[in-house]
Amino acid sequence: MTLIKLEDVGLKFRVRRAGKAQLKDFLLHGLFRRSKQTSFEVQALEHIDLEVGEGDRLGIIGHNGAGKSTLLKLLAGVYPPTSGRRKVVGQIGALFDIALGFEVDANGWENIMYRGYLQGETPRSIREKIASIAEFSELGNFLNMPVRYYSSGMKVRLAFSIATSIAPDILIVDEILSAGDMAFQKKARERMKTLMSSALAVVVVSHDMKSLALMCDRVLWLDHGKTRMIGPAEEVIEAYTKQSDKGEKRQAA
Amino acid sequence: MTGYFSDIWRLRYFWLALVRNDLRRRYRGTIIGIGWSLLQPIAMTAVLCLIFGQIFHQNLREFAPYLLTGLTFWAFITAAVMQGCQSFFQGESYIRQHPAPLAIYPLRVVLGAGFHFLLGFAIALVFVWFLNGFGHLLAVLYLVPTFALLFVLSWSLAVCMGVANVVFQDSQHLIGIFMQMSFYLTPIMYDPHKVLDPSSRLLALFKYNPFATLLEMIRKPLLDGELPSLWALGASSAFTLLALCVAALALRCFEKRMIFYL
Repeated sequence: MTLIKLEDVGLKFRVRRAGKAQLKDFLLHGLFRRSKQTSFEVQALEHIDLEVGEGDRLGIIGHNGAGKSTLLKLLAGVYPPTSGRRKVVGQIGALFDIALGFEVDANGWENIMYRGYLQGETPRSIREKIASIAEFSELGNFLNMPVRYYSSGMKVRLAFSIATSIAPDILIVDEILSAGDMAFQKKARERMKTLMSSALAVVVVSHDMKSLALMCDRVLWLDHGKTRMIGPAEEVIEAYTKQSDKGEKRQAA
Repeated sequence: MTGYFSDIWRLRYFWLALVRNDLRRRYRGTIIGIGWSLLQPIAMTAVLCLIFGQIFHQNLREFAPYLLTGLTFWAFITAAVMQGCQSFFQGESYIRQHPAPLAIYPLRVVLGAGFHFLLGFAIALVFVWFLNGFGHLLAVLYLVPTFALLFVLSWSLAVCMGVANVVFQDSQHLIGIFMQMSFYLTPIMYDPHKVLDPSSRLLALFKYNPFATLLEMIRKPLLDGELPSLWALGASSAFTLLALCVAALALRCFEKRMIFYL
């Protein structure tokens, strides 16, 4: 069964120029069509065709700024495609930007509730999970403290523990494996494994070619927002590594 | 449409928890906590009674409840509108992570302001009952549908302002000025019919001001024990419907694209 289907998807961002006077510029631009452009466009994704079915483990690779994270966010429904069609069946669990979105004045327990509710939990269902979430985060008494005083590592621990407490149909992950300190990373990797094995489909972005080769059966190589290559993991990773090496040599020469 | 509202309802624990957190945060580290919310309109009413009672030779028995209802109402509307401007920025990190109906973020703001409104209004009720007694209890019950209307209006306005402000960040300043001017064109501190010449053209401004008609819908039953005029009911409902339509339209246009503006 197809869970994710992208047909000729494109995503164009409108980026505002930094600075003030938007209304003025807009009026001038709108009225006289002469003044300078107030925003410019970035084609983040172009002509992406993608199908992810049940049992698929898809990896996404590419250089920084190639559009990997943007594609993930589009899959998760945070960004709408500005052209083409996106179809997704099933519940999505997304792990990206997880360290954002805390109510900093509330303590850890409360933030577990808020995040949980946003993920669709009810007071009853979260009550069953909250102990195991707290335990996994290993934050102990820190959970009674406002999140304002958390270190970034602690935030990641908490966020990861909450975000992975659900078992989604489609799991979307952005470089999560580098979360927290050594001990936690190991734990996180274990949990990711169980999550990935229980999810119907997994899409993961990573720069770690070794673990990608182990995790994924298919890999998509993005280059400047376009599909450079898609196919069996080893082939695409090999081609990508070769090209990166070439780039390095050229720079060295 | 119903799908949209059922999505909002499905996430009720989320936004209710946020409202609760907002309220708690407001009084974090204060000794009398929620008492400040009660004290603020009372203090304001006291000082205004003192001054305007002298200037306009108002009967304080009537003037105090009049002021209190007006100030509470206005505090609510400004809070809904001005905080509505910030509502999507406030929820930005959630919007970036998790697709959810955008209307929940203005709703969060309106419910927070609504809580304070109800507190202030409870004081007003006590004032009225203590000073004059209720003219007609049935008329007071009439406030319930009025509050429902007020809720729809403020939610719609907050959505409109939120969208406007995300698209043009100048909006919040424009709206700030507009609200400041509206304050003086709405019978909050004085009854225009008592202080203005009956032939004054300004009276029309008060008549067609939807905030004034809404305020009449609150004051008439409570202070005079009478039903509000049909004009007030009609104008308020029409304005609410208009705001609702604009809010729906704004969300229809920007619900998906909002993320690009944040």
